[in-house]
Amino acid sequence: MTTTASAAPTLSRGRTAQVRLQRFGAFLTGMIMPNLPAFLAWGLITALFISVGWLPNEMLGGFGNADLPGAWQGAATQLVLAEDGTTFRQYLGLVGPMVTYLLPLLIANSGGRLVHGERGGVVATIATLGIIVGSTVPMFLGAMIVGPLAAWVMKLVDSLWDGRLKPGLEMLVNMFSAAIVGGAMSVAAFFGIAPVVSQISTWLGDIVAWLADNGLLPLMSIIVEPAKVLFLNNAIGNGVLVPLGAQQVVEQGKSLLFLVEANPGPGLGILLAYTLLGVGAARSTAPGAMFVHFIGGIHEVYFPFVLMKPVLIVAAIAGGMTGVATNVVFGSGLVGPAAPGSIIAVLAQTSRDSYLGVILSVVLSATVSFLVAAVILRASRKRDLAAGESGDLAAAVAQTEANKGRSSAALSSLVGATGTAAPVRTIVFACDAGMGSSAMGAAVLRDKLRKAGIEGVTVVNKAVATLDDDAADLVVSQRELTERARQHAPTTRHVSVDNFMNSPVYDDVVAEVGASRAAAGAGEAP
Amino acid sequence: MSEVLARAACRAEGTARTYEEAIREAGALLVEGGAVEPAYVEAMLERERTMTTFMGNGLAIPHGTLDATDQIRRSAISVVRYAEPLDWKGSPVRVVVGIAGVDGQHLEVLSRIALVFADTEQAQRVADAGTTDELYDLLAGVNA
Repeated sequence: MTTTASAAPTLSRGRTAQVRLQRFGAFLTGMIMPNLPAFLAWGLITALFISVGWLPNEMLGGFGNADLPGAWQGAATQLVLAEDGTTFRQYLGLVGPMVTYLLPLLIANSGGRLVHGERGGVVATIATLGIIVGSTVPMFLGAMIVGPLAAWVMKLVDSLWDGRLKPGLEMLVNMFSAAIVGGAMSVAAFFGIAPVVSQISTWLGDIVAWLADNGLLPLMSIIVEPAKVLFLNNAIGNGVLVPLGAQQVVEQGKSLLFLVEANPGPGLGILLAYTLLGVGAARSTAPGAMFVHFIGGIHEVYFPFVLMKPVLIVAAIAGGMTGVATNVVFGSGLVGPAAPGSIIAVLAQTSRDSYLGVILSVVLSATVSFLVAAVILRASRKRDLAAGESGDLAAAVAQTEANKGRSSAALSSLVGATGTAAPVRTIVFACDAGMGSSAMGAAVLRDKLRKAGIEGVTVVNKAVATLDDDAADLVVSQRELTERARQHAPTTRHVSVDNFMNSPVYDDVVAEVGASRAAAGAGEAP
Repeated sequence: MSEVLARAACRAEGTARTYEEAIREAGALLVEGGAVEPAYVEAMLERERTMTTFMGNGLAIPHGTLDATDQIRRSAISVVRYAEPLDWKGSPVRVVVGIAGVDGQHLEVLSRIALVFADTEQAQRVADAGTTDELYDLLAGVNA
């Protein structure tokens, strides 16, 4: 407990910055996440059909001469320079266009939607084509900048005449304004933004190349591993490593950058150490966490285990560095991002020539982080047992949820299933004025919780207008009000009731909270 | 400080036939007790127009809007019981609890009323209370 408590003030000082970074990370994730199937499809097609793939196919892989006899007529081709100085028509294939056009355009569309809905998505996509054809490197970074920017411009333009249009002209004005903004942004991106982003991409690529040339790539883990535990991994992973990795795949056919953050090895080692050398609830929970982490690819389940003994971050860093170093030595990498960071996703995206290196990087990083964590746990084991620190996992889960900025389904389902802390600590009943119906509903639920012998759950009532995402883990409101409540607290879980006096929903909530409480109680018992 | 639920603010034989009348009836008891300005009753009607205060188990709890809080002099609750169910925007209501709450002083009382009505049997007993004394005695525990 002492370690967690002493870490808390530092955290709250940097809290605003951290929340901003997390919001930024969440925005980046919102652009990448919906399109991961496309990344995966590209990864699979690349792994199969490129010239060094499992089923090399010159038409799909885009490396065959379409002028030779027996060519597949009608397929898209491009003129390329042969080694002897002549030109020939080469198949365009799927791999190149997917990474050059499909993925950035999808990202731009998602980013535009986040800013300004469907309309923002369309304008973002138009504008992003400008940056794609205005440069020679894959425009992931460009799409992430130009897409939201174009949608934002559209939003500004729309607000100019919002509600002031003559009826009957809306459609005409809306169509042409989007076309003009999209077209203009596309041209602006071609001439103005593409060179800048190309330059930035080159610099970032140069930094990575410099790190690689000097054998310093493993140092990335010093930043990445602590950032993961503080839930800043999305900003780093999706914002920097995935775009750079994709660029490397185009140039080298694979990239180890995809594995820097996604390698499940370091977390596995720490959980294994807890399984063998931990005490109390942490020890009994670790095996379940291992499964969720390693197979499910949900890394956040190991963060609480690090937070309850922050010095373990050393184990994570050592493991991460080992993994990167292994891939450097073997020249191994993935052909696309492994998301989630499950061993299955990692193997599915492994380059054909890289199985040995990639598997070794996972195994070795797990081994190293296990050894370091084992030494740390071993050294403090007697003291932990004496201090009865077995209940700390609940506090650490709470800390993890605080770091994430909201409660986590993965964390709570894990701890719920395997027995430590409760996911729902604060329940808010929301009604219009916050003085009547919500107060009664809160009273009824409080009573039900009390009768079920559940303690430590705060149930309060509020006016809908005063709700925000920090207010509660769960918001209960009347059916007609739930939509409004959701607008005020979009990331919180909401449930609707028809009848505040005796809703079946109450029993569900009591059962859910009760199950996790009971498990937590069992975990805390000496 | 006077009790939040006073005997004088209870009535076992409600006369209203519509929910609007019932709100006026419960509101009038609050006005008579000196808990609210007459304008508060209009705010109660306004609140009901935007969203029902029907709570389930034959209970409705009309109260004012957030803006009308300055028309409340002290926290108080009135209770009117009806022999025949009222049509409360499509739901049957036997007991109407008028609420005027400031600074959350009424919340304790309200929670206790909620617990009474969350229990179907107890709610039925209140709805069947023939006299004002019986009604008050069933609910008086809420002041404690």
